[in-house]
Amino acid sequence: MNKDLSKVRNIGISAHIDSGKTTLTERILFYTNRIHAIHEVRGKDGVGATMDSMELERERGITIQSAATHCTWKNIDINIIDTPGHVDFTVEVERALRVLDGAVLILDSVAGVQSQSITVNRQMTRYNVPRIAFINKCDRTGANPYKVTGMLRDKLDLNAHLVQMPIGLEANLQGMVDLILMKAVYFDGDNGENIRMEEIPAEMADEAAERREALLEEVSMYSEELMEALLEGSDNIDPALIYSAIRRGTIDLEFTPVMMGSAYKNKGVQLLLEAVELFLPSPTDITNNALDLNDGEKEFAVTNNPEDPLIMLAFKLEDGRYGQLTYVRTYQGELHKGDTVINSRTGKKVRVGRLCRMHSDEMEEIDECGSGDIVALFGVDCASGDTFTTEGINVSMTSMHIPEPVISLAIVPADNKAQVNMSKALNRFTKEDPTFKTFVDHETGETIISGMGELHLEVYIERMKREYQAEVAVGAPQVAYRETISQHADFNYTHKKQTGGSGQFGRVAGFMEPMEEGDYEFVDKIVGGSIPREFISSCDKGFQKSMIKGALCGAPIVGVRCTVNDGSFHAVDSSDVAFQLASAGAFREGYMKAKPTIMEPIMKVAVEVPSEFQGPVMGSINQRRGMIIGTNEDGSYSVIEAEVPLSEMFGYSTNLRSLTQGKAEFTMEFANFKPVPKSVGDELIKKYEEERKNG
Amino acid sequence: MGSQLNEKAPLHALDISASTQDPSIGLVIARAGLGKTAILVQFALDNMLQGNKVLHVAIGAGVEKTRTWYEDLLRTINGEDIEEIPGIMKQRMIMTFQESSFSKALLAERFNDLVDQDIFSPDCLIIDDYDFENCSRSDLEELIAFIKERNLQMAWFSATSHREDDRKSASGVPAPCNEIEDLFNNVLFISPAEKEITLDILKSDSSKVKVGTSLHLDPSTMLIKKG
Repeated sequence: MNKDLSKVRNIGISAHIDSGKTTLTERILFYTNRIHAIHEVRGKDGVGATMDSMELERERGITIQSAATHCTWKNIDINIIDTPGHVDFTVEVERALRVLDGAVLILDSVAGVQSQSITVNRQMTRYNVPRIAFINKCDRTGANPYKVTGMLRDKLDLNAHLVQMPIGLEANLQGMVDLILMKAVYFDGDNGENIRMEEIPAEMADEAAERREALLEEVSMYSEELMEALLEGSDNIDPALIYSAIRRGTIDLEFTPVMMGSAYKNKGVQLLLEAVELFLPSPTDITNNALDLNDGEKEFAVTNNPEDPLIMLAFKLEDGRYGQLTYVRTYQGELHKGDTVINSRTGKKVRVGRLCRMHSDEMEEIDECGSGDIVALFGVDCASGDTFTTEGINVSMTSMHIPEPVISLAIVPADNKAQVNMSKALNRFTKEDPTFKTFVDHETGETIISGMGELHLEVYIERMKREYQAEVAVGAPQVAYRETISQHADFNYTHKKQTGGSGQFGRVAGFMEPMEEGDYEFVDKIVGGSIPREFISSCDKGFQKSMIKGALCGAPIVGVRCTVNDGSFHAVDSSDVAFQLASAGAFREGYMKAKPTIMEPIMKVAVEVPSEFQGPVMGSINQRRGMIIGTNEDGSYSVIEAEVPLSEMFGYSTNLRSLTQGKAEFTMEFANFKPVPKSVGDELIKKYEEERKNG
Repeated sequence: MGSQLNEKAPLHALDISASTQDPSIGLVIARAGLGKTAILVQFALDNMLQGNKVLHVAIGAGVEKTRTWYEDLLRTINGEDIEEIPGIMKQRMIMTFQESSFSKALLAERFNDLVDQDIFSPDCLIIDDYDFENCSRSDLEELIAFIKERNLQMAWFSATSHREDDRKSASGVPAPCNEIEDLFNNVLFISPAEKEITLDILKSDSSKVKVGTSLHLDPSTMLIKKG
């Protein structure tokens, strides 16, 4: 199966919520003949858009899980990942960006760059994803694609340039002028499926010529041929030359072509598909790296060659009507139905019985897939983020950036049936989503779930009820604090219990010190056998156990390097347990001398607010111990950027609504952990002490 | 904190601390792309390192871009990571405005919001890319009156001059500020020279700095090459 990879596009569609990405995807599927009727997100026909395949998504009108879908535009194979718009589901967006080669960033023609667009753009930058901007909803009152293009430059720092201009706007939106072909494009037929090209309306000709001139001047930076052609005049330049210059600039992340239209009114979508083909990269235009696990995780570029050993990344799991589906992206090699592959994390062999292409909630069984493909496998047991290979190589795709959970809450099943179903659901969710974690608190016996935000956990609780019929009672959300040390401290502890019967003896000496990267490190500097080799790992175990629960507020301890450089043992009474206990004692001794502090998760918060409410909103952030980084005032709207402790953000949406008559919105994502102020720390310590006293 | 910027930073040669005016009102003027923002950010960073609070008003730029200036400059000049200096981030606030929406009245409103709610009380104000071409003398007088009223220690503006406009004041301040130079105590003019940038002190209120002094800066770091 030697597929021409230059004809493959793996793209994502990302946007602020309500910018119309589900509608746009729906139209793409319609124009590429994947669906034969158009349903709206909140449509009156009660069907809902095809991409929103989860019941909950259809009900809320938002997209929670990314559904992969395949379509063909002309002779180009396009794999689309529809990505969620809430920051709480950031890992979904990040995973999608990891496997994609290019993306379409949708913007609302009225609101322009919104807080979520900034987050999504930052994520795209992190993963070096080339993008096209699509200014949607140009039929809305107040639509202004020129202003939005300016915002792309000012707020997102993108070198964004229009490659089209609108013919009419708002209710009078008729079509677009293509500034490369210099033609007016109209969309006829009930669903805009018939494209009609005309001469540019006379009254727009001068402006179109000026805008084309500016565009050509800019993109000529990416093509010497174009620059030379321009010197001879801009009238008869081969469009292919312009396309190739824009493509170069886009792939090098130096240029962002800006398209426009109204997906809802069926205008501009086919031109966007053309742009996907012309400007976004194919798998061979992008370098993807894998890690060689046999060579100290050394990075190497995957080849895209179908004849090389298979490398495939599982980026999404779904439990749906067809059983378990694992979405994979193939980076090199080929996979055939019935092949056996190896999960490089577990080393287990897995037979791939069936593979298919998903068209949102419909599927097409296929016999093979090759490099650059995004397909789904049936019945493969794995976790999201696993790499599959053929025998003989031991590689993993570059590890994905997975943030630590910052919020947790206790859930209690209503009855025995709910208990069983809850376990099934949790098992599934933790495999699907690496930022969703669960464990049983051994002291209280409660099941704790943790994740990236209130909404993140709420959605899983809702899914437990709907998909798994698991009724659960939910406790109050708790912030995931951490403890750490601020200075070097020595320890020298002897554990001795030698009063009759078999005794216990072990002495552990050394020091602990703060470490900036990583949670824990154990350094063995024992010389001369003062602690026998067989008990060195016992010391490590003892330290690690001590770090599960800190002495200040019971939070896990992170950022500690423990070095053992001396000790003593007893020929008979020393044992694994004795050295674990000695190490635990040594840790306790050192920890309190090492100036321990409590750290709390700090969230990066962006509040978008009508300017008249900026003052009260800044006040509200200040009251919540927030640090305002900056404000960006854009006429009638302001965006306030701040860092606020997560513990202070509970209930903020209600507070914000009442402060702004419901006119403001905010997004937040995890930024980092920072030490808590003394007053907050004292409070947490007091609370923990009381809890311990009360058993 | 309590530290200072690299001794080769041009602001040390200007010795702003020896200013005889309170507040000291300064202007950095140059053609586009010669490093006005870099000089303003140096002033701001030095103030922040000394424990003063800086309100950075950027007209026509975004918050992220302005933050990046601080991060990059401190790394280049002092080899330090701004996030690693305890408490320094609390010494700065960035306000960005679109050119068309900025006015003294709006700045005053935002400023008062910050001070009255005890969110942030600036000691130093930076106004980068103030539109001198489209503002009147009285607009600027009003703004400076506001700065004095709010007891700021210093305020620095930046202005963009143009190659094709060769008007100059008697002390050499180019257009568009040639007729309003009397409103500033300090005026610095940046111009390109071969492989370096020249910083001319056209006006100074410092008891230690001589008007007419020229500093030669390395364009990649904006640090002094020779005095």
